[in-house]
Amino acid sequence: MTKTGKIIAGVIVVLLVIWGVSMISSKSGTTTNETGPIKVGFVGPLTGDGAALGENAQAAVELAVSEVNAAGGINGRQLQFIYEDGKCNGADAASAANKLLNADKVSLIIGGACSGETSAMAGAAEQAKTVLFSYCSSAPTITNAGDYIFRDYPSDTFQGSFAANYIYNKLGKKNVAVLYVKTDWGTGIKDVFDDSFTKLGGKVAIEEGFDQTTKDLRTELTKIKAANPDLIYFLGYTEESVTGLKQAATLGIKTPMFGGDAWDDPKIYDGAGAAAEGIMFSTVSAPLSDAFKAAMKQKTGSDEVLACTPGAYDAVNILSNVMKKVGTDSTAIKDELYKTTYANGVSSANISFDSNGDLVGASYMVKQVTNGKAAEVK
Amino acid sequence: MSFLPQLIANSIISGSLYAIIAIGFAFLYDSVKFFDLAYGGVAVVGSYLFYYFFSELHLPLIFALVLALLASSALAYVLYKSVYEHIRKKKASKLVLLIASLGVFTVLQSLIAIFFTSEFRTFTSASVQEFTLLNASFTIVHLAMLASALIIFTGLMLFRKYTSLGRAIVAVSDDEEVSKIVGINTKRVVGYVFAISGAISALSGILVGFDTGIQPTMGLILMLKGVIAAIIGGFGTLPGALLGGYLLGFVENFGSFAIGGEWKDAIAFVLLILFLIIRPKGIIKRN
Repeated sequence: MTKTGKIIAGVIVVLLVIWGVSMISSKSGTTTNETGPIKVGFVGPLTGDGAALGENAQAAVELAVSEVNAAGGINGRQLQFIYEDGKCNGADAASAANKLLNADKVSLIIGGACSGETSAMAGAAEQAKTVLFSYCSSAPTITNAGDYIFRDYPSDTFQGSFAANYIYNKLGKKNVAVLYVKTDWGTGIKDVFDDSFTKLGGKVAIEEGFDQTTKDLRTELTKIKAANPDLIYFLGYTEESVTGLKQAATLGIKTPMFGGDAWDDPKIYDGAGAAAEGIMFSTVSAPLSDAFKAAMKQKTGSDEVLACTPGAYDAVNILSNVMKKVGTDSTAIKDELYKTTYANGVSSANISFDSNGDLVGASYMVKQVTNGKAAEVK
Repeated sequence: MSFLPQLIANSIISGSLYAIIAIGFAFLYDSVKFFDLAYGGVAVVGSYLFYYFFSELHLPLIFALVLALLASSALAYVLYKSVYEHIRKKKASKLVLLIASLGVFTVLQSLIAIFFTSEFRTFTSASVQEFTLLNASFTIVHLAMLASALIIFTGLMLFRKYTSLGRAIVAVSDDEEVSKIVGINTKRVVGYVFAISGAISALSGILVGFDTGIQPTMGLILMLKGVIAAIIGGFGTLPGALLGGYLLGFVENFGSFAIGGEWKDAIAFVLLILFLIIRPKGIIKRN
């Protein structure tokens, strides 16, 4: 080893030691610091796929936080949120979670919205023994993601079978094609849907998966057109849905389209224009209060309350109540959450969690797009 | 078999796009002899410049297009002058150039994400003109893709054969040192090659934008598909790049029709590996 080599190695060792010592001291620092603001992380898609859902949810979180803080915070301590962009994919969400857990040292994380985000963060949260509270992830796999993982959004075990029932009984379509994005969310709903739909006596004529990054669905749609189904169950996020709906229109596909809760996003109807007319989708039926709707309108300047928004608002309130009761120790928060019942929520009337941290019960509704606006089908 | 014409149309559509990227890439590689990853970055910048001129400033389409292509051309030239020329002068290995171009690519992509956010964007929500031929539907954008591929190919072939600059480019790609000895200003020639390939790259990005939409991260996958097409066609030859593009388009679309759309990218790479094993020099060997 040359002289410079030795100096470099020496410097690296010194830096590592300093870093290690500071890590240890800062770890012990957080437990003693009980007076400053309580740091909470938020993860959701703020750009890219599903960004409209994430931004709308962020607005609801900001609203809830300002209400909690105005009412005196958590036993005198203010809530301080750190917002991170999970970009609706596992990789970005995982690095966001690592930053929140290791650099910001948050007490808990509210997120993610997309199921891929939540799944990717679950490991890190579980390891750090920090509660991860999703307000919009629906993949059935999250049920068993860990002890510290909660959600106030129903699992797709419900959505898949709800859609199967609605399509078979209400719409009377017995022969369907499934076009799904290969993510935790897409495959999750698809599996449950296939199962329920065939049990009802329906037939899944064809099943086509595609990568979330794919924007060219022409060949998949050509294949579906050749199978001649009564209805296409199209499980896609915003971007793929805009291009997919347009491409279906170009290919002359007149078959009705039915989607999942990700279609509760006005960007799809704006982007796809005429191609989105008449599409239907299932989404969580939330008992939005008038006060909440008015407050959101004041905050965002629009009437839109999207799929992830009520859950995000309730999440802040549920966790604030829990922290008021048990403080910021994450194991205590976790234990208390399992016992919590939250009444008069805006996402569901009564929110409580089963032994897996999943929301108990779920109710859905169907919306249809007419003249570029989605409205509930009564 | 009523879906067959549509499937062929789909293959030609994606094949044309791959061919355009592959032709530009092969043209560039043939002269500079290194993997310029920034080529994909220029496609992204070009498409966003067009987005800015066309969708935000509302310039007329042709005007916006010409501006975006010229600007991308200039960008590719500036990148060459400011980065690659210095590295090439030092006779650095191709690996160094590859890494440098990866750096340039990342910077371009991040700059676009900073200025335009990483949101997915479409140029226009107006519906485009559609056609139906023998049961196959396509749009005017798809026709533009096919036309661009053919025009760029023929144009470059003629340019290389009949203009003095074109012949100088051929000479440089045959042997840069000898070209210098016979009095060709190789630096200037390579600069032109970068500028031309930059415009081609930007055009491919703009066409993607019209067909589906643009995103800062689209450069890498576009570029990879173009490179696969260039390799299976015969590396560095223009007819090879054209053929490779269409072969990839057909194999991908027929393959995903037969086994499922989720395998589309895998099919492309399996095709590449097969070619690398069985016929590493591609369909058309360079003489």
